[in-house]
Amino acid sequence: MALSDHFPALIVALLLFSAFLTPPVYRWTPRFSAPLTTFCLSAAFLMAILLTAEVSRSGPLLYHMGGWPPPYGIELKVDPLRSYALLVILGVSLWIFVYALKDLSHELRIYVIGWYYTLFAILVASMAAIALTNDLFNLFVLMEICTIAACGIISIKEDRECLEASFKYLILSAMGTGCYLLGVAMLYMATGYLNFDLLNGALTEAFSLYPRNIFTAAALFIVAFGTKSALFPLHVWLPDAHASAPSPSSAMLSGLVIKVFAIALFLIFYQVFPREILNAVPLTEIVLWLAAAGVMFGSIYAMLQADLKMMLAYSSIGQIGFIFLGLGLDQELAITGGLYHVMVHAITKAMLFMSAGVIIYTTGVRKIKDLAGIGRALPITMLAFTVGSASMIGLPGTGGLISKWYLALGALEAGRPLFVLVILASSLLNAVYYMPIIISAFMHQGEFEYKVRPVPNMMKIPLIIGALAVIITGLLSRPVIVMLQEAVASML
Amino acid sequence: MEDQIVRMTSRLVVPFIQVYGIYIIVHGHLSPGGGFSGGAIFGASLVLLALSFNLEAGMKQISHQTASVLESGSAIAFLLAGMAGVFFGGNYLANRAAGYPLGEAGALFSSGAVFVITLFLGIKVASTIATLFYNIIEGED
Repeated sequence: MALSDHFPALIVALLLFSAFLTPPVYRWTPRFSAPLTTFCLSAAFLMAILLTAEVSRSGPLLYHMGGWPPPYGIELKVDPLRSYALLVILGVSLWIFVYALKDLSHELRIYVIGWYYTLFAILVASMAAIALTNDLFNLFVLMEICTIAACGIISIKEDRECLEASFKYLILSAMGTGCYLLGVAMLYMATGYLNFDLLNGALTEAFSLYPRNIFTAAALFIVAFGTKSALFPLHVWLPDAHASAPSPSSAMLSGLVIKVFAIALFLIFYQVFPREILNAVPLTEIVLWLAAAGVMFGSIYAMLQADLKMMLAYSSIGQIGFIFLGLGLDQELAITGGLYHVMVHAITKAMLFMSAGVIIYTTGVRKIKDLAGIGRALPITMLAFTVGSASMIGLPGTGGLISKWYLALGALEAGRPLFVLVILASSLLNAVYYMPIIISAFMHQGEFEYKVRPVPNMMKIPLIIGALAVIITGLLSRPVIVMLQEAVASML
Repeated sequence: MEDQIVRMTSRLVVPFIQVYGIYIIVHGHLSPGGGFSGGAIFGASLVLLALSFNLEAGMKQISHQTASVLESGSAIAFLLAGMAGVFFGGNYLANRAAGYPLGEAGALFSSGAVFVITLFLGIKVASTIATLFYNIIEGED
């Protein structure tokens, strides 16, 4: 076998390798640890690109860990949807890491920075593996790793708020994982399989024998992944955790971690559950209404916030609602829109948190009302913030428009025009809390009242790349949309 | 704390605990147990020493620095043991296909890669327990 056949396992192994190598390297030669992690993240990203090319050329790829075939061993799978998720995860985390290199020395104590790199690499490895795995129990283990690493990159700041927020996150996530494990046990009891494909085959028959077990499992999965990805009534942990964490962690958590679990729920709903189970009870209908409520309430809560990062965190609750709206509408175009929003929101929200990080780094300001006139002091940062806000609102030329467009088309196609109104109303609400910041930043009459440090290039360049990426996702969406439509068509 | 009885007892018991831990690690493929449980037992013996004597006595067995190097090193060794499959044929974490000798079924050395991996896992868990304990005792730094 050529080396490229092993890429699914090697991506995860390489990231873990970098994670475990960092502590000794940081102890003796600290200056090598950042290049090491950057190199491993880039190599993993490169492997993901090659994998995507391979999958689009010759169809889904299966990889058996240790050479053990499915009912016994763990299977990794790369299909178009998973390779898309892999690209988003690895690309965005590499970009965030470059930004983090400069920001961390400001927010963390010097001796924990090496540990931060370790946690970051473990987090990325677990997210990549969640996108790859084709085994329910393996998914459980990876969810645990992901949660612990995510709590780690919040609580590493070691102030009171971070510790409290990450403890809350840990407990609620543990409830989520508990629900998931119970659901897996139910499915295992009914079928005797843990592999996605084998379960898919066996569930049709098991459904007629043990319908209650399988419904309970589905309900538990909605609660589990809803908690993990902050679907509306289960979002309570998110604002504190995302707002108090160091800015690169906020970007990681809001940009990627919550979405990975949304993608996992997509995979379970469309690759594990056969169609008749989804049709037998209104599972997607429940998700739909929760998502619609989340879209509205996330925006309303965000309007009430005085703290910039807190506002961005609440906005994430609204935006994750859009992703679940795609799942809830259960219609090809809507799912495409929801999945496209995974990428758009990952880039946009990460960039918004980065600009918030730059603002905190250079001026120390966190309150929204203190931002008046900051546009002249930090032009590039606020320009990036403007582009990001435009994408959040869904203005033409940005990625936000494309995903909302497909969601709205899907809602019409499914005969649910009410949800077009929800999407429109939420976009207006987004405008209500994003626009005043931009207007007062650029149009304020007086001078900016705080002292401003110069913005380091290592922070400026990622912001510029992010702003460009948001515009590119808006203007050149075709290839990705085509890829997603094929992926969705093969799942439905 | 200066307690002759506790010190004497733990001095007597610690070698037995450690041998038992190693036994559980190497017999992981034959009997219940394995890398995690054996490593936890071994790590507990280090914690017991540090508790019944003092931190310095525990550190003399395995220093904080050695423990953290062992921790990273054994995890890396685990990953590299899996890589053998990629280089010598078979898949990642492959056993027989990667050329690990399997030996006779039921004998002590009869599990190929599993034995190697369990050993590293044991070292990893034992050193992690020691590092965790030292970190808690030492507090801030």
